Amino acid sequence: MAFLEKSNWVVLFVAVPTFLVYVAMVVPEVLSKPIADVSWVQPMFFTIVGFIVANVLGNVVAAASNPSEADKSDQRDKEIDQFGERVGNWLIIAGSITALVLAMTRADQFWIANAIFLGGLAGALLSSVTKIAAYHGPFQRW
Amino acid sequence: MVKPTLVTNSIRSLRFANGEMTQADLADRVGLTRQTIIAIEQGKYSPTLEIAFQIARVFRVQLDQAFQYPDVEEQP
Repeated sequence: MAFLEKSNWVVLFVAVPTFLVYVAMVVPEVLSKPIADVSWVQPMFFTIVGFIVANVLGNVVAAASNPSEADKSDQRDKEIDQFGERVGNWLIIAGSITALVLAMTRADQFWIANAIFLGGLAGALLSSVTKIAAYHGPFQRW
Repeated sequence: MVKPTLVTNSIRSLRFANGEMTQADLADRVGLTRQTIIAIEQGKYSPTLEIAFQIARVFRVQLDQAFQYPDVEEQP
């Protein structure tokens, strides 16, 4: 398995649990309190930091499992990476536009921040799934 | 979105005809990863023209001996 493919599996394995932890911390409060009283800043902050740290550690482990392949990438890797990023960016843009509309309608900060957060997370997941699919199926960009 | 390539190749037979060259050896000689050589051999990925020439050159054959493209019937 190419190192960049491993790297995308790491994103999947890290993003899903960290998101579920965030949901488990925030959703019970959303259901039981007014939105303005929900404490979401710390859970979101630590979820993002946790995601980054776990992602770095996962990549270190992936690199250590096969050091000779860790720094190798080629034209196909680059094309798959660009393709996956472009697909994932649609969800990031969708999250940003949603946040913009929420800000225009003076929605609570909670909804604005979560629109950006979820758009970014969903974009990262879609990007990784797209790249992994491209590694396993036919892939042609030109 | 992503369609399979029509380009076929004879890399597998050329490797065996050249002292059973491994995919890793070929990958090193043309600057690709072994996974990309596997994808090319399986017809899941078409290399750039430059890489295609490099692969043909490794086996000392013409480009169309390493890579083939089917004749397309003319539209009526």
